[in-house]
Amino acid sequence: MDLGRWIIGGSLRPCALLSLASVRSVHPDRLKLQCAFPLELQSSRHRDLGPVPTNNLKLPLADLHLLSNFVHNIAKMEILLGITGKDFTLIAASKAAMRGATILKASDDKTRHLNKHTLMAYSGEAGDTVQFAEYIQANAQLYSMRNESDLSPSALANFVRGELATSLRSRKPYNVNLLLGGVDPITHKPSLYWLDYLAALAPLPYAAHGYAQYYCLSILDKHHHPDITLGQGIKLLTLCTDELKRRLPVDFKGMTVKAVTKDGIVDIEFNDDKVVKSA
Amino acid sequence: MSGIFAINGGACVAMVGKDCVAIACDLRLGLQALTVSNNFPKIFQYGDVFLGLTGLATDVSTVSDLFRYKVNMYRLREERDIAPRTFANLVSSTLYEKRFGPYFVGPVVAGLDPKTGEPFICGFDSIGCIDFAKDFIVSGTATDQLFGMCESLWEPDMTPDQLFETISQSLLNAVDRDALSGWGAHVYIIEKDKVTKRLLKGRQD
Amino acid sequence: MSRRYDSRTTIFSPEGRLYQVEYALEAISHAGTAIGILAKDGIVLAAERKVTSKLLEQDTSAEKLYILNDNMICAVAGMTADANILINFARQAAQRYLLTYNEDIPCEQLVRKLCDLKQGYTQHGGLRPFGVSFIYAGWDPQRQFQLYLSNPSGNYGGWKATSAGANNASAQSLLKQDYKEDCSLKEACGVAVKVLSKTMDSTKLSSEKIEFATVGQTKDGKIYHRLWSADEITALLKEHDLAKDENTEDK
Repeated sequence: MDLGRWIIGGSLRPCALLSLASVRSVHPDRLKLQCAFPLELQSSRHRDLGPVPTNNLKLPLADLHLLSNFVHNIAKMEILLGITGKDFTLIAASKAAMRGATILKASDDKTRHLNKHTLMAYSGEAGDTVQFAEYIQANAQLYSMRNESDLSPSALANFVRGELATSLRSRKPYNVNLLLGGVDPITHKPSLYWLDYLAALAPLPYAAHGYAQYYCLSILDKHHHPDITLGQGIKLLTLCTDELKRRLPVDFKGMTVKAVTKDGIVDIEFNDDKVVKSA
Repeated sequence: MSGIFAINGGACVAMVGKDCVAIACDLRLGLQALTVSNNFPKIFQYGDVFLGLTGLATDVSTVSDLFRYKVNMYRLREERDIAPRTFANLVSSTLYEKRFGPYFVGPVVAGLDPKTGEPFICGFDSIGCIDFAKDFIVSGTATDQLFGMCESLWEPDMTPDQLFETISQSLLNAVDRDALSGWGAHVYIIEKDKVTKRLLKGRQD
Repeated sequence: MSRRYDSRTTIFSPEGRLYQVEYALEAISHAGTAIGILAKDGIVLAAERKVTSKLLEQDTSAEKLYILNDNMICAVAGMTADANILINFARQAAQRYLLTYNEDIPCEQLVRKLCDLKQGYTQHGGLRPFGVSFIYAGWDPQRQFQLYLSNPSGNYGGWKATSAGANNASAQSLLKQDYKEDCSLKEACGVAVKVLSKTMDSTKLSSEKIEFATVGQTKDGKIYHRLWSADEITALLKEHDLAKDENTEDK
């Protein structure tokens, strides 16, 4: 009764599996569990699955999670970093656009300006990322136009979480990890929000996504202070990128760095050419 | 140790004392073994009723926000706060609405009956089956440890101070034996017309 | 002339008027007076309660003052039944905003939401407009304390002091006389009872004839709103020497 292995062998497509189930009268719940694993190996979205009958291929969240963990190994190489300080929030994202083992572009900007003082950086499955980020951006700008005032970073973070959480239980969820940084337009307090593809939201003083978490969070744990200046923040960021250059197995082609202050979002010149030797 | 309920980690416990109840949670938010945040509270206050939520962090937020909506509408309509027992049934029916695609949470409700002042605690499974208890309720990744701690430390008719000590020791010692929860705690002691919230630092490692 | 045009909300008369909307405004001008005054540290809403009978069950709930959400209240002038629909709509809109953004809805946005609904009934056929005017009192971090007035046409505006319902023209001119820029909430309450005492039929007021509510800020910066109890209203009336003599019985 090992339907799973049949798929890996390539003899069956998931759609065929579902129709087969009714012949063998397998209980549908049981079937979901069985197709969960093989699906993730087969169905990275870029591979051609043939005519998948999408309406009866509804994945329960359980399967989705396994699936995303698999897809994310490439996306985890993408680096997102965020640091807050006394009066600013720094957001940095790697410049490499990767697909499989190939670097397609070395000047990718994985950030979108949501309004005058909120910036969002994203990583995850190609296609989903930009689509989702620009959907959020459009909504943030629509709000600003309609109400003649901007949403605060906290309101935006909760809005994004809501959209991502709704998507999570849809037929095809967005596979996107996000960092949202900003400065409150009224109180001028800097803030940083961490959101993963499951729409778990955490306000943090400093944050990272992907493999960068494992290298950078410990560095930031040691050196971060809530009232550092922008200069100190950039130094701290350099400390992180140096470690990433030293330890990550791929060249991430440097970082796009932006800072949000009460006056708006500014691009930060960041030295990408520095060579760090591996230990 | 695996599965959706244990991705983010977290623990929650509620206890009954004499004319008082207590509810406590840890503060960790993790991704498997990695800790992302050490300030992610899992207890939410709706008027005089307290709700603890463990499980998948996204659903903890979704469900707590949803109940804030429902309880606020209830209060505006009825012009009074919701009672713990009423709220427990609201939680139950709301969770069961999603019977075939549940929220991955383990809720705990605690409060005092507004009329009689009687302590009320209960727990739920993720699809809303209510577990009434007259001693304690546990939930989260440290469930086994919490059961052990509560079973040995809890006794009937504790004063608010004794109750605080008991629930705090139970939670802290339980999460110290669980890799997925800990990093500080929130403890609420609920009496007739007083609620005391205490922050426990706990082990930060 | 008007006969041919006044039965539908959707059709202008040759003079360019919407008779149904004007009739709705007329209905409101028979309702009890409601006034609102903006002070520098809060807002006061006061309303005249029309139905007072010894046989009426006196529950605690207010008849003309409603809570919309944690930072906003409103006074109603007009048909209470219509108002209930709109108030429920406003409460849901406010809670939906809170659910989406985890922040309270800005006051003007909530007023606008409600007015969009009201406007719809002046344009779509087959239905009559809502017969209510609202006075809103609220606070938000962007524009602090705010006072708004909306009417059945769906128009709204921000005010320092305003009124709706019976005698609202005279109330308005009294407010214009008595309103002081930068007055305190306490002073505003005094102005409110004075204006009400002059616009209402009886000169001596009593707590069962008026309702009172305030929005303010506590010492630690928290925003509160409060519907006043009968005793508090009586105390305020006594302070301004407007209370009815206690031994004279109700008529």
